[in-house]
Amino acid sequence: MDHAPRLRRYARALIRNQELADDLVQDTLERALRHTDKFQSGTDLRAWLFTIMHNVFANQARRADARAVHLSVDEDPLDESQFAVASRDTQSLEMRDLDYALQRLPVDQRQVVLLVGLEDMTYAEVALALEIPLGTVMSRLSRGRERLRALMAGKQDGVQLKVVR
Amino acid sequence: MNKQTTLVSEDEIHAYVDGVLAEHRRDEIDRLLETDHALATLVSDYFSLNSMLHDRFDRVLQEPLPQRLKMQDEVSANSAPGVAKVDAGRGPAANWTKFARFAAALVLGIGIGVGGMMSPPARDMMMSAGDSTPLRHVSLTKDEAFARQSAIAYVTYAPMVTRPVEVGADQEEELVKWLSSRLGTDVHAPVLTRVGFNLMGGRLLPGDEGPIAQFMYHDANGERITLNVSHRKVSSDVTAFKLYQDGSVNVFYWVDGDFGYAVSGAISRAQLLAVSHDVYEQLTARNGQGTRQ
Repeated sequence: MDHAPRLRRYARALIRNQELADDLVQDTLERALRHTDKFQSGTDLRAWLFTIMHNVFANQARRADARAVHLSVDEDPLDESQFAVASRDTQSLEMRDLDYALQRLPVDQRQVVLLVGLEDMTYAEVALALEIPLGTVMSRLSRGRERLRALMAGKQDGVQLKVVR
Repeated sequence: MNKQTTLVSEDEIHAYVDGVLAEHRRDEIDRLLETDHALATLVSDYFSLNSMLHDRFDRVLQEPLPQRLKMQDEVSANSAPGVAKVDAGRGPAANWTKFARFAAALVLGIGIGVGGMMSPPARDMMMSAGDSTPLRHVSLTKDEAFARQSAIAYVTYAPMVTRPVEVGADQEEELVKWLSSRLGTDVHAPVLTRVGFNLMGGRLLPGDEGPIAQFMYHDANGERITLNVSHRKVSSDVTAFKLYQDGSVNVFYWVDGDFGYAVSGAISRAQLLAVSHDVYEQLTARNGQGTRQ
């Protein structure tokens, strides 16, 4: 089964802030439990959970906007503790770039890029989970990946990637 | 963007990277990549994006779940003196347990139950039971409930690819210490190599009578079995092996003093019985003093 760790992994990539990401997973599981009757037996449990997670996430984001609480990394100073151990190896620089770049992606593109690239969902599964047409999945994937690639190469929006040498 | 876009669509490039492109097109693109360096760079960048995402975030899968997302929480709440049930809606831990059970029912499709099939009302009971009390099975004795729960835990965890066990056999000492402390008594993982099974590791499960230690073993064919050990509140004399069957899962269970044991597996009864005998002999040798007459 093992859905909780996977929801967690995805949430962490989506929101980055660990506390908020775990809040999202917790809210998702609680909501799933309240609505088990809505789950169609024989359908994909994972897709169902991700659908719930996205609804919860959308609600949280809306509420957060209203309260000016930020889910974005822009106001979340680099979370050093998360990297305290890893920061010695050179790979962590790339990882930090990745975090930064991910947060620069519009959230709808970020979701698709992560569901495909990290969660290894098929395009149809993504369409199901996000409740969007397949064509939209493809265009968001395309734009998202291209943007991410550009961000990682440090050549878009004048973004200075925090590469410390 | 480049000349190759007339030959390969963007969607196809992504489908190629994600391994979902039809084979003949995949071959064509493979050939194209040999000569088109711009396309090759793009594809390679997309590949490395995917692998970077995994490099960066797969570690989350290995992190221990935080307390609030952890099913063990319920166990500690449950084992507090005099606390026999989990309060309704008291946080995610209880919910999580409920969820694990819900998911277990889904794994089975129709669910397992007495006699192999679970009727819709029984399933409703299972789904809703956690609202106010831990799962109850009024028609089952305590021992049968334990056997049934072992069967559910087996179908929940044995098929897992990524994390069938919480702590692996490479950290057996830590595993045994952890489980012993949570059960409040010494537990041991018997060595089952004689009957062809090696320890994979274990995890802690919540039970109606307090926490349950689950050890998982596999044989050379990858077949998995579990041994569940519960620490009973009331000691009783050793009982005979009893068989509980749920679909393809057989469970041999017995009680010995303070301990309840259940060996579960989707293997033949004869084979499972041999395992159970081995478990019994080893654990009786260890626990022989004191608890039994």
